[in-house]
Amino acid sequence: MNCAEYKELLVEYIEGLLDESRKQQVAEHLKNCRNCRAEAAQLANLHDRLVNNGKNVARSKFEDKVMDKIVREQNVRLKAAAKAGSALKLRSIIMKSPFVKIAAAAIIIIAILIGINPFKPSITFAQVVKPILNARTMIFDMILGADETGMVMHEIVVGPRIRRTMSNMPNMIMVIDLDSENMLVLDSEAKTAVYADIEGDLGDRTRSYIRFVRQIIKKLQDGQVEDLGEQMIDGRKAVGFVGRGHNEEVTIWADAQTAVPIRIEVQIGQDLAFIMKNFEFDVDVDELLVSMDVPSGYTLKDAQMDLGNATEQDFVESLRIWAEVIRDGSFPEAIGTVNAMEQMPVLIQKLGQMQVTEEQGTKMGVSFGKGMLFHQIVESQGQWGYTGAGVKLGDASKAVFWYQPQGSSTYRVIYGDLTVKDVAPEDLPQ
Amino acid sequence: MSENDKYYIERCLDGHPDDFRHLVRRYQAVLLANLAGKLGNKDRAEEAAQEALVRAYFNMSKLKKPGSFFSWLLGIADHVAKEHQRKEQVRYQRDLVRSFSQEVPPAELSQDYALEAAIAELPDAYRKVVLLRYYGENSCNQIAEQLDMPLGTVTKTLSRAYAMLRQSLQQQERAEVYPEGINEV
Repeated sequence: MNCAEYKELLVEYIEGLLDESRKQQVAEHLKNCRNCRAEAAQLANLHDRLVNNGKNVARSKFEDKVMDKIVREQNVRLKAAAKAGSALKLRSIIMKSPFVKIAAAAIIIIAILIGINPFKPSITFAQVVKPILNARTMIFDMILGADETGMVMHEIVVGPRIRRTMSNMPNMIMVIDLDSENMLVLDSEAKTAVYADIEGDLGDRTRSYIRFVRQIIKKLQDGQVEDLGEQMIDGRKAVGFVGRGHNEEVTIWADAQTAVPIRIEVQIGQDLAFIMKNFEFDVDVDELLVSMDVPSGYTLKDAQMDLGNATEQDFVESLRIWAEVIRDGSFPEAIGTVNAMEQMPVLIQKLGQMQVTEEQGTKMGVSFGKGMLFHQIVESQGQWGYTGAGVKLGDASKAVFWYQPQGSSTYRVIYGDLTVKDVAPEDLPQ
Repeated sequence: MSENDKYYIERCLDGHPDDFRHLVRRYQAVLLANLAGKLGNKDRAEEAAQEALVRAYFNMSKLKKPGSFFSWLLGIADHVAKEHQRKEQVRYQRDLVRSFSQEVPPAELSQDYALEAAIAELPDAYRKVVLLRYYGENSCNQIAEQLDMPLGTVTKTLSRAYAMLRQSLQQQERAEVYPEGINEV
């Protein structure tokens, strides 16, 4: 070997990567060659300088400082998300876990049933607006909450099938078949599919949701409404009507010329509100969009979810989750579906931190969602009150929630220790 | 080595944010050295390194290949450094005006700023290997694995990086002995 070739080997020599015989060879050459020796010395010098600097660079507590900053930033983001009402902005961070996704899906599926207040038989309406009522397909956006800052649910309705996507969880797609009371939840990012059973309350309420949209339009036509006159709505000249039912108030704005609805605002019970807009009727919709088959390229996940009927027990469990998991031991300021949706990222994050199994996570998600479903039923049936703000979980002396079951003369009262008692009207806690 | 990065990233995404700590531990010196060279000040380097890691954490779900976390992180750090440099320029100009009336305390350089500055100037591929070798405390074999290249390429890259560093350090020394403008006098 000549000097140039030896120089090529110097880095490997210094790094100790040469085999024994090569090493000997280089060492031998360095003994005899002053030029190469100088080169090797310079390299070793630089090598040492790098090693030393590498050791000096690390700073104390750096790691803790970074982790602190992350926690602080996380909290700021959580607060901002809750404030904006766009509760699921953290999706990208926390939704990577498959079980959390399923739990979230369960909650969201249920949350969306809002306003599915089954109409009382006393409300009858004449036949109206044929093209709308008989529309084969219907597309619209539904926004949770009374203002327009909430998340948007985009709905495509084709006969008994609904395809639902949400603005803040665009990868989560739900296809609901009201005939078979079955639902397919697709995750277009992870390419997974899950079937969920929605037989029972959930199916019924989802069904009447479509009927609901149609009935409010009937209501408008029927004239049992107050005329709000003309106004510009979403840039169009619209006529407005407001109709009031037993427990709901519905405001409809329709195109002043064609009478096709532009915007529907609904308030139900004490604190359930939503807006529907961007309607399209009888648009051609690709059947594949509402197919109940697992699309090609998707993996079917075996995670049976029974979302059908919700009981008082589910509601009690959702209060427990809210107090124990979301709030660290005390009941929230307010409950209800909209509030629950805002707490979603916290729940998902906490579930993640608790390192629950996929099964437990799904179960909790389903319970939380079903609790909300139960609350919606209570909401649509009549009187209830929430008195739990600030009450500590386990405090048996304080009532948290009361309601009157349909057809009952007594009230059910849930206490801070999550016991439930029948209470006569005169004994109802204030 | 990259397997490990991937493992921790997936743990974080699965809802174990505290596992990010391991990645911070692994790359803190690398980032500090890289940023000290670019920003020329220990404290600013630390600030920028923290910022880069926080940004990395919150954007982790955008990382397509968890195995290439290091390159991605370095990219973020370089970006943060650029932003800081821009801010620094504005501050410097303001300070220049102010310095007529008051003294500006000299920036606190790190112990071997010359070396860090030279590293910061290396082309990307060389910089990565040097940072991983001396500031990430990886062996050449580990680097080969992490960057998915043959061992021979790692040593050749290192060898070439040494040559560039030496040249750059010599230039810096010369500039110190003969500061700009002196020659013209």
